[in-house]
Amino acid sequence: MLSLKTILTGTAVSATLASAVFAAGHGGPYEPYAGTTLVINVPAHPHYNAMMKVLPTFTEETGIEVEVDQLQYLKMRERQTLELTKSEGDYDMIAYVVFSKADYVYADQLENLAKYFMNPALADPNYDQGDLISGYVQNIGVAGGQKGYLPGQLGSAFGIPFGSETSVLAYRKDIFEKHGIAVPETYDQLLDAACKIPEVEPGMGGMASRAASGHQASHAFLLHLAPLGGRVFDDSWEPIINNEAGVAAANALKTIVDCGPEGSQTFGPAEAAAAFQQGQAAMFMDSIAFAAGFEDPSKSTVAGNVGYALHPEGVRRGSQTGGFGIAIPKNAQNKEAAFLLMQWLTSKKGDLMVAMAGGNPSRFSTYENAELNEKYPYSATFGEALKYADPDWRPIIPTWGKINADIGTTMSQVLTEDLDPQEALNGVAERARAIMDEAGYYTWQ
Amino acid sequence: MQTANANRLTPYLFLAPAALIMAVALLYPIGYMIYASFLDWNPSQRIGDAEFVGLKNYIGLLSDAAFRESFFVTLKFAAVVVTLEMVLGVGLALLLDRNIRGMSMLRTLFILPMMIAPIVVGLMWRYMYHPSVGIFNRTLKSLGFEPIPWLSDGSWAFASVVIADVWQWTPFIFILSLAALQSLPQSAMEAARIDGATGWQQIVYIKLPLMMPVLIVTLLLRLIDAFKVLEVILVLTNGGPGLSTEILSLRISRTASEFRELGEAAAMSNYLLILLVILTFAMFAYNKAVEARAARLRKAAEEDL
Repeated sequence: MLSLKTILTGTAVSATLASAVFAAGHGGPYEPYAGTTLVINVPAHPHYNAMMKVLPTFTEETGIEVEVDQLQYLKMRERQTLELTKSEGDYDMIAYVVFSKADYVYADQLENLAKYFMNPALADPNYDQGDLISGYVQNIGVAGGQKGYLPGQLGSAFGIPFGSETSVLAYRKDIFEKHGIAVPETYDQLLDAACKIPEVEPGMGGMASRAASGHQASHAFLLHLAPLGGRVFDDSWEPIINNEAGVAAANALKTIVDCGPEGSQTFGPAEAAAAFQQGQAAMFMDSIAFAAGFEDPSKSTVAGNVGYALHPEGVRRGSQTGGFGIAIPKNAQNKEAAFLLMQWLTSKKGDLMVAMAGGNPSRFSTYENAELNEKYPYSATFGEALKYADPDWRPIIPTWGKINADIGTTMSQVLTEDLDPQEALNGVAERARAIMDEAGYYTWQ
Repeated sequence: MQTANANRLTPYLFLAPAALIMAVALLYPIGYMIYASFLDWNPSQRIGDAEFVGLKNYIGLLSDAAFRESFFVTLKFAAVVVTLEMVLGVGLALLLDRNIRGMSMLRTLFILPMMIAPIVVGLMWRYMYHPSVGIFNRTLKSLGFEPIPWLSDGSWAFASVVIADVWQWTPFIFILSLAALQSLPQSAMEAARIDGATGWQQIVYIKLPLMMPVLIVTLLLRLIDAFKVLEVILVLTNGGPGLSTEILSLRISRTASEFRELGEAAAMSNYLLILLVILTFAMFAYNKAVEARAARLRKAAEEDL
């Protein structure tokens, strides 16, 4: 806490000085909006907890007050869905889950950011867009490219990644060393290690993974699908989730859960992380957002013993891209001020401040920052992992909610009721095709 | 003439506020739901923008395997919990229908589970069912038994939610049965005792038949509630593993929030509503038939005299 405060004040002082000088000359870019109160809606998530620590600095520098409404991320999505259909919204800025991008943009509920970046009174010339991590920007911020959600020439930005994540493998250095197990680099090695650990270290599970029925099981399955060479749909939207790679991914998940800690079948991300934190599992492969919790000795019994490695390679490398972006709703009341907050938070300075407070960087330069690497030694590995982040590991389309839930319940049946993976995935593919057909994805065939 | 008219209108005038409240508070939401069930309505749209699709939602649901499964789970859940709760609740009431010291204390203790917020009940049981640190598995392990996969196996998960529901709602049946028992006419009991009826005979021929009207209403209330239970299951299993505990109200909530199909969710609610209305009517019809039969018998007996 102490070190955090010193860092914050340190950065704040220099920032305040800079803006004070600027303000004296021109009135400053923030002056017309001083005194405005922004209402923002963000998830209860380590990254946004870090943001909360930094917001007072923003208010100090700009005179813009920020009121924060924090909700669990699936609840937050429900709230936003209702909020965005109102003619006058309560939120000036929202953080959205990446798969909400499709819903919100499709329903025309987010501001296109072009007009703000074109406005010289609002856009900071030193913002440096090129420094933003491109995989995240394409995945979270841009809509309208290839297939509507992938990078493409005609896409444009509706949000900026903030609190974005990729997946890495966290493992217990002490356990791996004790039994002479090598850190897995491929999926075969990963699965071997996952099932070897319960044998050599009784009472400890191999890998803690999400697996609860619904969204969690689907997430866990997709995490393995991309590196093992699979996709949910092919280029003409035909479901291919039930091909060889799909079955391999389902089997991988089943092996991991079977060799995992007790009760794995019902784990959500928090439970899986807790199992790893309490030493009940030797590996944990999920979002980088959990790392700060593992290194916190007040919560974690394994702090200091955790190593981080890239998401193992199957037939290709492909770690998840996910997390959150920030955007301005069409029905917001204070759009310009909200843009200023957005720009400030994702600027080089803001991004570093949030990262130092325990958030996930959105910029390459932040990952290269020496101070950050000293405080969080794993930052370098995470920066490396980003190179393999796969923006297409799950489709971000309006019908995804329903297909995602179906994958999740079916995977849960594979994990708990011994449903045959091939049969299970055939069912998913058939139902997904019907959903896609109804939504008009085969109109052009 | 004018006064006569005014007089005739008076009762309606007095009824008007109640009728208005009924219309606004009861009929409007139900009407809204019925209307919504004919729409293809995404939560990102306003209701006016939603497309009218007629009976499509209803027909689609009939061929939806997941919906049928969760309909079946709901029926199974309601039947199992209500049967268990009725047997346990009425049994407890019969046992405790006597003058024990500190009875009022005991009664308060017994109905405590009912007073706890459902979310808390769910969390409490979830911790107790926890695979490694939960009290059940810890006890089993210390006694040398294999731990039970309470929430991670389909059939155990169903049993687990049934146990939690029985724990919470048996007191409801208990308290109503006890009240019914204590208001039974003492003369009938006394007559039975003088005629030499044993304890069992008193229960089977006197107490239970006399309690019947109350029991039927209790059963109905519990049944309606059991069809709508959501929070405890939401917290305990969220419908999993697979679809093994996904009862209809949970599926409705997921359809609205996760699948983003408000029209389909409304259609599901209507199916549930229809089911409940049929059940209620059946129960009242049965009650009426029983009463009519009793009246007929009484009349016949009086004529014989």
